[in-house]
Amino acid sequence: MKSAWLKFRDKGTKMAQFELNDDSVVVIIGSGAGGGTLANELAQKGVKSVVLEAGKRFDIGDIENDEWAMFSKISWLDKRYSGGGWHGSVNHPTLPAWIVKGYGGSTNHWAGVALRFKDFEFKTRTNYGAIDGANVEDWPIDLDEMTPWYEKAELKMGVTGKTTGMPHLPWNNGFRVLAEGCRRTGRTDYNSGPMAINSVERDDRPQCQQIGFCMQGCAIGAKWSTMYTELPRAEETGLCEIRTDAMVLKVEHDEDGKASGVLYADKDGNQHLQKARIVCVAGNSIESPRLLLNSASSMFPDGLANSSGQVGKNYMNHTTGGVYAALPEKVHMFRGTSVAGIVGDEVYHDPARGFSGGYYLEFLSLGLPFMAAFLEPGNTGWGRSVAGALENYDKMSGVWVLGEDLAQERNAITLHDSEVDQYGLPAPIVSKTPHNNDYEMTAHMYETSAQIYEAVGATDVYELPAYPATHNMGTNRMHADADKGVVNAYGQAHDIDNLFVSDGSQFTSSAACNPTLTIVALAIRQAEYIAQEMNAQNI
Amino acid sequence: MNIRFHPFKKNRKEHEGLSRRMFLMTTTMAGVTTSAMLGGASIASAASINEAQGTMLLRMVQDIYPHPGLLELSHYEAIVATIGKNADENPESADDLKAGLAKIDEQSQALYGKPYAELEDADAREGVLRHFQHEGFFQGVRWTAYFGIYDNKDIWPLFGYQGSSVEHGGYIDRGFSDITFVPEGPTLEERMAEVQG
Repeated sequence: MKSAWLKFRDKGTKMAQFELNDDSVVVIIGSGAGGGTLANELAQKGVKSVVLEAGKRFDIGDIENDEWAMFSKISWLDKRYSGGGWHGSVNHPTLPAWIVKGYGGSTNHWAGVALRFKDFEFKTRTNYGAIDGANVEDWPIDLDEMTPWYEKAELKMGVTGKTTGMPHLPWNNGFRVLAEGCRRTGRTDYNSGPMAINSVERDDRPQCQQIGFCMQGCAIGAKWSTMYTELPRAEETGLCEIRTDAMVLKVEHDEDGKASGVLYADKDGNQHLQKARIVCVAGNSIESPRLLLNSASSMFPDGLANSSGQVGKNYMNHTTGGVYAALPEKVHMFRGTSVAGIVGDEVYHDPARGFSGGYYLEFLSLGLPFMAAFLEPGNTGWGRSVAGALENYDKMSGVWVLGEDLAQERNAITLHDSEVDQYGLPAPIVSKTPHNNDYEMTAHMYETSAQIYEAVGATDVYELPAYPATHNMGTNRMHADADKGVVNAYGQAHDIDNLFVSDGSQFTSSAACNPTLTIVALAIRQAEYIAQEMNAQNI
Repeated sequence: MNIRFHPFKKNRKEHEGLSRRMFLMTTTMAGVTTSAMLGGASIASAASINEAQGTMLLRMVQDIYPHPGLLELSHYEAIVATIGKNADENPESADDLKAGLAKIDEQSQALYGKPYAELEDADAREGVLRHFQHEGFFQGVRWTAYFGIYDNKDIWPLFGYQGSSVEHGGYIDRGFSDITFVPEGPTLEERMAEVQG
């Protein structure tokens, strides 16, 4: 199963090394879907960059088929707090989000679902109107604008479907149960893709072997991750230097208010200042706003790029939950891809349903360890009802439900006033309080999922509350109006021309779908814009 | 406090019947285990836990994750041994644990006039434990039991979980799509046609 791409990785190309005082480089903070893609796109255009990754340099040999071993190995476990009214502030008080700290970022953990936004989801203010308690706005871009970039992203990542001509994956047991329930309840939009997982050998990466454990990192590289695609390819150009164990503490600016470099700590805690022509922030929607807030100065007392006051606000992570059904016969849902199929019938906006926006049902297998931890999370998840349900483990099929989460100002990343992390920086508090829209949508999601599973003879259906969030969005949002958002349509800060946001924090709305494809498409588009603006000497 | 079951609308009667059968089975089995499974078991191998405390812990881990008929007593004994080892290595948490066990018995005496491990009714025992579920000592026992059962590769087969597959070439030739009670998925030809139209 060792394939060509492993040789590619082992070519031993000498990586570029840039001086700390080289102020001609683009500094990219983070190596995940946004930062990793941006680094490779810029490198292919001849633009030099230094990528600063807070975590370790993992490679494919670090990946194990073991839920807790991988959780401990790659998760972002620095000091963080959950706040707000969601159950996690009690049940997951120090784990508000489930994301990765390391080379490749959360593209190691993502399951590979590569859905595009729907047209209406880019224009939520226009389509939903003003909603009490929410801060819903339109993106300054739309689906027409994004379609060619989505196509480029799909070709890059190897997404099953018409763009690549690669067939969707074969259906596994767990998804076949869900699909049959869909068929029996009159649904039509359910399939085993689009997934950024090779259903055939492609782009020097092998075909999926139905290993499972997609969210622990793909052990053979069939799933797209920047770890073994964008990052080594960027390094191979000799134009990109990736420094791991490099935690960025502050973005510095000059007296004209332009970004001039970043201060970071290496693995021994020594601090370095890397100068920069352009700074791109791609540390995920918790660290990116946190960094801008922690970069406050006398010129920018509220944090960098924050004249709108929207940095850290509008934190969205999807309206979610889980549903698992016990079927009358064995299912063995853990055999095969973790997210093996997607149901899209509920992704439309109809206020008559009692909520705005739509939602997906995505088949999701959990191993026994995670099922036992998340079936009823928190201190109360033990006893006869939990143990009894777990005895049905091998007869279960289930879904992760995810729907549009409306932006709210109170849902935010803020800085703790006394607790600091291992670098001495104020720890982030991630506050999330569901909107009424979320309660209405969640009830609908649970009911729909239960109906589908009842139609295939489920004997019990268990409803799981939201997991610690992997989809984190909105905290440096795009807006045409500099008073209402942090960045423009290219992710460029309204306040600082040579400061960009390159991750999901630039999302204006969450849409119902998984964010990675859109993050990658935006990064490809942003790279084009940055190269063009550099050539024109505008930045 | 309890796992959330979706309220079924259709087939409600049948569903309740099933649930009730399961309920009766577990209580009966739990009654059996109290007397039969605990008989003569000695787990006082840890220096900081005495025999009575060990007996109590053995009852407790079975009440926290009861799997009568699926797990052996030895599986639970191994968990208690881990708890004992952890207590030996960490005197402070050992003190918390012992104080906690004393509180559980105190609560049981106050409510039922006998120690927790001697309560025959599984509901009563779970109810006593629920009083302490937010305390550190209890969660320490609970998570040790959790890892000892659900993250234990020797126990996984009993739940039908096969775990790691990469060393076997994945599940592609090992039943990833082998169930027969629902239709098969589309063939490769059908899947190809779908994306090339």
